[in-house]
Amino acid sequence: MTHITRRTALGLGLSTAFILGTNGSAFAADPIKIGFPANLTGNAASLDGPMLNGGKLAAAEINAAGGVLGRPIELVVYDTKSDATVISTVASQLIDSDKVISIVAFSDSDSVLAIGPQIQKAQIPLITPGATSPKLPSQLGNEVFLACFGDNVQAAVGAEFALNSLKAKTGYLLTDIGTEYTTLLSDYFVKTYEHGGGKLLGQDSYKTGDKSFTAQIAKIKALPEAPGFIYAASLVDEVTLILKQLRQAGIDIPVVGGDGYDSPLLLQVGGKAAENTFFTTHSYIGAGATPKVQAFMDAYKAANKVDPENAFAALGYDAVKLMADAIKRAGEVDSAKIRDAIAATTGLDGVTGTITYRPGIAVPDKSVSVIGVKDGKLFLASEAAPTFVPEP
Amino acid sequence: MSGFEYILQQVINAVSLGSLYALVAVGLSIVFGVLKLTNFAHGDVMMVGAFTTVLLIGVGVPFIPALFGGIIASAIAGFLIERIAYRPVRNAPDVTRLLTSLAVTYILENVGILIFTSSPHNFPLPDSLNESWQLMGGAITFTNINILTLALTLLSLVGLGWFITKTTLGLGMRAASEDMSAAQLVGLDVNRLIVVAFIVASAFAGLAGVLWAAQAGVVQPQMGFTPLLKAFVAAIIGGFGSISGALVGGFMLGALEILIVAFLPDAITPYRDAIVFSLLIAFLLFRPGGLMQPNREIKL
Repeated sequence: MTHITRRTALGLGLSTAFILGTNGSAFAADPIKIGFPANLTGNAASLDGPMLNGGKLAAAEINAAGGVLGRPIELVVYDTKSDATVISTVASQLIDSDKVISIVAFSDSDSVLAIGPQIQKAQIPLITPGATSPKLPSQLGNEVFLACFGDNVQAAVGAEFALNSLKAKTGYLLTDIGTEYTTLLSDYFVKTYEHGGGKLLGQDSYKTGDKSFTAQIAKIKALPEAPGFIYAASLVDEVTLILKQLRQAGIDIPVVGGDGYDSPLLLQVGGKAAENTFFTTHSYIGAGATPKVQAFMDAYKAANKVDPENAFAALGYDAVKLMADAIKRAGEVDSAKIRDAIAATTGLDGVTGTITYRPGIAVPDKSVSVIGVKDGKLFLASEAAPTFVPEP
Repeated sequence: MSGFEYILQQVINAVSLGSLYALVAVGLSIVFGVLKLTNFAHGDVMMVGAFTTVLLIGVGVPFIPALFGGIIASAIAGFLIERIAYRPVRNAPDVTRLLTSLAVTYILENVGILIFTSSPHNFPLPDSLNESWQLMGGAITFTNINILTLALTLLSLVGLGWFITKTTLGLGMRAASEDMSAAQLVGLDVNRLIVVAFIVASAFAGLAGVLWAAQAGVVQPQMGFTPLLKAFVAAIIGGFGSISGALVGGFMLGALEILIVAFLPDAITPYRDAIVFSLLIAFLLFRPGGLMQPNREIKL
């Protein structure tokens, strides 16, 4: 902030009163309402829950520092239950009744696809912390921005990690055909892996919610040549079962996947079977992290009594900071101006990396962390940007 | 791995999956047989059993007693559901009863979400049950929980067979399922028979719920939906309301799902569920009574 206007000065004074424990709405100004629908229950709960905690932490920090444009920000939160019908109802509620100025939402592409048409029609900008489909902006329109890398980037890093670090020149592909996220991830993986000289010995599919993968696994065992690794484009619920059933069948090769694995459930449910698993995600949050991440971890723990569960906590935090930064640069609380300000974001330093939108592209270029499982613990296996990125 | 070993492994996979489907379908069919009611809450009774078992294991009860604890909890849940929700609408039109059963489903599921949240919880299966057997030099593998599932399925089905053919209560239950009013006319206590049917069906749901959760490795309040859907298909293939039909249907469905993945080209695998449900429609159209009851109309 280069100069303090009367309004922000007032805001600062009042927010200090707020911190000193008046414990209520001490702001004179109306809060700026930002919609935050999240799948707090259902399939995506282990991602959206931490994401919301991260978002709330960012909002608390912003308000403690005087809010934005002299007004506090308020996250309007609804549980959308991992259900497209509920998402659509909540979208109407946010747009028509709550009159939010912008929205931060979701960790998965399917949920963003469900809310997209309504926010696009109402011309309200949306930042998704964790939905990674790079096609979202072109599918939905100019109001949609990703705070995270695209699936083409993380799948490419996963493929190059297998080729270069695991030295696996042959692979096998398992795809969950039940979600947009996993099918896209799988496509991008094949393109990069084959571009890099890798050879797929076969591929198979299943659907979200399946519990038995024994038929697919028996096929892998029956291959004339054992693959060097398995890329499983999967969500965490299924991959833990795939891992258990693979290891029980005596297949110990590495399993590689995307940020859908980044949930505490991978270790809790996967147990010993999760050994030798690698996944690409937004940030490494754990022992030996960078000071910036460490500061976030401490603040998160202070606010929520638990360590950040996964990178989605950091993404939620970054997305709310990004939104607040854009509102500040827009100079007024106006959806169209905020959208333009988001698009003009350059060099915003977040916990999950630096966010810059190239002109006309609503997916930031960010580096990818590869996290591995060893002796029941997560470790940072690599931090990389891919050399080849398939077209979205 | 030779062709023979591959086929044998897939047969083992099919039997192991089929036994779970059969367990769920049998419970569904017992209730349908007696009440002509599609009990959507069956999946949630499974959930009650699974959560009870997890809680019992959590306080240090060994797996097998905890499993029986789960079965008892499910049986009690079934008893209460019948008494509180279904009995008052027993003579109401089919639609009312169907909606009541849906309402019970939502209530149970949401109570589950309130107590346990909807995030999945780890199912603490003892390591000994997770251990796998490697036969023929590792070509054939299956786990102890697979064996336990199959053994308990067979044991409980033999028990059920004995119950419905040899005991007065069981015979009465079958009589009521053939013709409720005739059963009443000859002096059977129909209320009691329905209660017994619910308790037996719910105990089956409890067993199935625990085994399903044990194989999946997680429990969550919505866990009953997928097995219910599969059991529904199995029951229709076999003949809705027929216990032997549910059994055959369950194993057939398991075999079908495994075979489609195992032996058809990779390009077909994604259509697995479409194939299974097309078969369901074909059965409803051309053999609505299922395999075991040709030409008997069913009403859902």
